[in-house]
Amino acid sequence: MKKTIEVINELQKEGIIRKYAVGGGIAAIIYIEPVLTYDLDILYIPEKEEKGLIDISPIYKFCEEKGYKFEREHIIINEIPVQFIPVYNKLVQEAVEQSVEVEYQNISINALKPEYSIAIMIQTFRQKDKERIIKFLEQTKTDQNLLQNILKKYDLEEKYNRFIDSSNE
Amino acid sequence: MNNKYPSFSNIQELFKAKKEYHKNLAKLPFEEKIKILVKLQKLAMGFPSHSNKIRIVWKIDN
Repeated sequence: MKKTIEVINELQKEGIIRKYAVGGGIAAIIYIEPVLTYDLDILYIPEKEEKGLIDISPIYKFCEEKGYKFEREHIIINEIPVQFIPVYNKLVQEAVEQSVEVEYQNISINALKPEYSIAIMIQTFRQKDKERIIKFLEQTKTDQNLLQNILKKYDLEEKYNRFIDSSNE
Repeated sequence: MNNKYPSFSNIQELFKAKKEYHKNLAKLPFEEKIKILVKLQKLAMGFPSHSNKIRIVWKIDN
């Protein structure tokens, strides 16, 4: 996994992506108990922001030159399936911009703050997101002011409150 | 009274202990959690998958 992270950091260093943050299951595992996942989701801000079509070919080209194979939407980097997801809305963009550095075997990895992870899960709201939100709230410390501000800014407050009320029933 | 095994005076206490166990797992260092994840991946590979999602046991010894 260390080598995989090094390749992702290299993409940022080479200017192929402006900034990235680990999202999905692995971002959750940083803060909560381990949950089963098979892929490493990398949310990223592209170096060139163009309206319309998102060009992810520079990432694929970089990885292909290093000899990594593709499998459907994943790039297999050192036997870890990595999915690169360009930021797809303003909340996700801010979440990546505000990401924090986490250490893994003495190297840094950018990861979403728990408050942003919760807000994104409220937005996506799949069954697994609902389960993870509960775990985040039970198992890790969250900055409630920051969370409320994010939810308010992205009009997610009501959806969040309804979810919390229903999960307490 | 045998103190070798934990005892709970009521079911609420048992649930509380269970919650505490999960909280303690959450407090483990990230590296340790990744090791547990790989164990989970290995275990899950023993079961058939009903989705077409990619399933690979991660290589973390590098």
